[in-house]
Amino acid sequence: MNRALYRLSLGCLAMFVLLLINVNYVQAFEANSLANRPGNARTFSQQFQYQRGSIIATGVGGNKTIAESVPIKGTNMYQRFYPGGATYAPVTGFDSIYGATAIEKAYDKYLAGTAPSLTVHNLISLLTGKPKQGATVYLTISPKAQQAAYQALLADGGHQAAAVALDPSTGAILAMASYPSFNPNRLATLNGADLVKADNELLKDPNQPLLNRAINETYPPGSSFKVVTGSAAFSTGKVANPQTTVPAPQPLILPNGHALNNDGGETCGDGHPQIIEAFWLSCNTAFGQIGMNLGARTLQDYATRFGWNNPNLTIPMPVSPSITPLPPGEPPDKSLTAYMAIGQYSDGATPLQEAMDAAAIANHGTLMRPYLLDQVQAPDLSVISSTTPSVLSQAVSPQVAGDMTQMMIEVTQNPGGTAYQTAGPPTVGSLVIAGKTGTAENGVDNSGLDDAVFTCFAPASNPKIAVGVIVKGGGFGADAAAPIAVKIIEAYLGGHQ
Amino acid sequence: MTAISSQPAARPGTGGAVAMPRGRRRTELLMLIFAVGVVLFAYANVGFGLNGKLPSGLLEYGLAFAAIILVAHLFVRRFAPWADPLLLPLAALMNGLGIVMIYRLQQSGRNGNPGNQISTLSSSATAMQVLYSAAGVAAFIAVLVFIREVRVLQRYTYTLGAIGLILLAIPALLPASMSEVANTGAKIQIAVGGFSIQPEQFAELALAVFFAGYLVTKRDVLSLAGRRLAGIDLPRARDLGPVLIAWGVSLLLLVFESDIGTSALFFGLFVAMLYIATQRTSWLLIGVLLFVFGAYVASKLFSHVGARFTSWLHPWAGNNPTHLAYQTVQGLEGLGFGGLLGTGLGHGQPFWTPLVQSDFIMTAFGEELGLTGLMAMLLIFGLIVERGLRAAIAVRDPFAKLLAGGLSFAIALQVFIIVGGVTNLIPLTGITTPFLSQGGSSLIATWALIALLMRVSDTARRPAPQPIQDEGMTQVVRAG
Repeated sequence: MNRALYRLSLGCLAMFVLLLINVNYVQAFEANSLANRPGNARTFSQQFQYQRGSIIATGVGGNKTIAESVPIKGTNMYQRFYPGGATYAPVTGFDSIYGATAIEKAYDKYLAGTAPSLTVHNLISLLTGKPKQGATVYLTISPKAQQAAYQALLADGGHQAAAVALDPSTGAILAMASYPSFNPNRLATLNGADLVKADNELLKDPNQPLLNRAINETYPPGSSFKVVTGSAAFSTGKVANPQTTVPAPQPLILPNGHALNNDGGETCGDGHPQIIEAFWLSCNTAFGQIGMNLGARTLQDYATRFGWNNPNLTIPMPVSPSITPLPPGEPPDKSLTAYMAIGQYSDGATPLQEAMDAAAIANHGTLMRPYLLDQVQAPDLSVISSTTPSVLSQAVSPQVAGDMTQMMIEVTQNPGGTAYQTAGPPTVGSLVIAGKTGTAENGVDNSGLDDAVFTCFAPASNPKIAVGVIVKGGGFGADAAAPIAVKIIEAYLGGHQ
Repeated sequence: MTAISSQPAARPGTGGAVAMPRGRRRTELLMLIFAVGVVLFAYANVGFGLNGKLPSGLLEYGLAFAAIILVAHLFVRRFAPWADPLLLPLAALMNGLGIVMIYRLQQSGRNGNPGNQISTLSSSATAMQVLYSAAGVAAFIAVLVFIREVRVLQRYTYTLGAIGLILLAIPALLPASMSEVANTGAKIQIAVGGFSIQPEQFAELALAVFFAGYLVTKRDVLSLAGRRLAGIDLPRARDLGPVLIAWGVSLLLLVFESDIGTSALFFGLFVAMLYIATQRTSWLLIGVLLFVFGAYVASKLFSHVGARFTSWLHPWAGNNPTHLAYQTVQGLEGLGFGGLLGTGLGHGQPFWTPLVQSDFIMTAFGEELGLTGLMAMLLIFGLIVERGLRAAIAVRDPFAKLLAGGLSFAIALQVFIIVGGVTNLIPLTGITTPFLSQGGSSLIATWALIALLMRVSDTARRPAPQPIQDEGMTQVVRAG
């Protein structure tokens, strides 16, 4: 019987070997994919059992904690608290028991302490018996600018709107506000029923409060696109300098027989103005003609240099691409190209893109990559990640940037400039803001309320901040959007001094 | 009958003219101290892991456990001095780790400790498990004291066979309210008042004895070859009876008690013993084919069997608490959560897995002790099996050989069925994990099984009767 027993022993060995191989497979090879499975209760509840890292806004206005984990009394759980509420919601997003958004999502690995760069820190905490803690994420957001931006949008009176402010020399995002916004604290609840209720309310709201309009919604840029058209005209040499005269008939009869009018059917100077005058008056016919001379492809090319048509931009949240589609036909339809040049074809821009347009001009033609992350600090205060500003593209030459700055200054400083009243000396005194207004007609047969757009930077001589504002249905860009930009600039520069 | 060990000359380590093999009880004691140390350390570890303090019951439970194990050792010294020195320490270690894990699970969400409360585990579970351990060791001692030679059991072959079948049948005949384990659909217990036993655990031992006794007498007949087909000697058709009966009983178990795991275990045990007895591969083949066929037909005929296969093949299809695979999914996610080194005792979240204290207890170990700990525990089971098989090979008596071989294989198969089930290697079938799962019946039966193996190894390793005088041709042989 011993022969059979030996063989049976081999059978037992085989069973144990199979078990060992299988547990090795499950625990060593499959562990990661198991942890990342949707609905994994352990991974999921683990995140509420230790202190998630804080999110702190660091720019002008001092450090302000905009997300932190606070212990819930009587439990060993932590709950997320957003002291900045709706003001910072587009930045922080929220961390709920069903998932996270915005910075909470993008830097989850740091905040949760699971990033590979935190492994050693975690091990040390484990060995020294300290509770595990997430890393702190410092953002470039300036509390002053952000607060001013949201207050200004709120005060505007119920229009859907968004504003973004950038540091033109680095690309650091100083403010990113969207209206209407939401209170992320409602979504931070650990009570599933409360969460579902709050979430449903927000999702059903026709004003889409969860939508971050600053980066995830595009609007027709209107005349603010003339910054791109002007840059293309100077860069290609079609227009030599700001003092070069350009034809500006009223109306401009397009190749397809339609008439392109200036706003309100007003004449543009004497019909042969210098381009700088056509710019501060925002003449559609002058820039429509320039656009036709340049061609749709050149316009698109320069828009792309300003950061348009980029589906891969992240800040680190993915940014919806701002678009300048080509009119149909080969070569693209001339008449529609005229509309494209004044931002009234099918162009669509995010408020961030409006800020980037101004930032590129402000930074001598060099567009910096926009970013939110200043640095990540491990619980022991060592820096484990930080952003080094980088160039996204060279939009135009410094020479062209200088010409464009000259033109944008006139928009606010020339008494005939479209933003003279709202962003010029009568409002801001000696501070010189360089900008461009946009009033985009929209709706069927332009029956909808105009979208107000303003793209600008300040101070014009030494730019510290570039701002893009879009107010949906706000009316004239100068009336609705420019005051919001002015408030952000004043808050930021005021805090700067 | 005089106990052998009461004779001074037979005490291990004392030699006559011939060098005596050593009983190795001192090795056993050292290993036991080590095992108890590991258990106490693990127990303290749970407290530190949960709330940073020494657990409250460390002294009481620790002393109680150490005392129980010490008593077992003393009885082994007295009643089985030649027995394998590793079996008792290995069993003690597993039993102790089981208590530690039950304590850890019971503390989850209770007494201010983190985690969710496990509602299916009462707050007195640890104390009960220590009591069961005491009862298990008592059974262990009783077997060593009352069964001095395994072969005496051969006399009760048919009695034990009948007892085994009756024990198996009782739950099937009882109303579901008395026999069904809550939420599982398995009718495997006898519950009266708050107390319940699972008779199948004891039936396994009784039936193993029956199989051994039956096969020892019938092995010659069963070894007779009938026709030869494809290089394999097929048994004669008329000898197929016993294997068909065993198969039928296991299928009945499966159908009437929804107890797939035990059914597979019994049938596997029988086939393995049949193979040991006859050395005929054909029996093994016939057994495996019958089992596969039976399982296939059952999976088609009975939805509860079919569901096991579905959830084995597609565990992720139903990751929700109402789905059968939910338990498996939670167990797997627990294992993954533990990873290579585990979360540490008290740091994991085993409470997510339903009934983690019983069938799925190995996933709790995997979660908190990691792959490293789980492999170590599997190897300990492997060692127990190996020591048992070694005793079977060493012993001369065919009945003891068959019994020890079968019982060792049964442990291996039981571990394979349950650990393979919870790690989704094979379809999940509810069955206890030896020594670890919460509850008394399995623990007591497993201790008795270990005692039987130690009795066999004691017999095997006991030196042949030595001449006490060397006076020419005449030898006085001491009665054994």
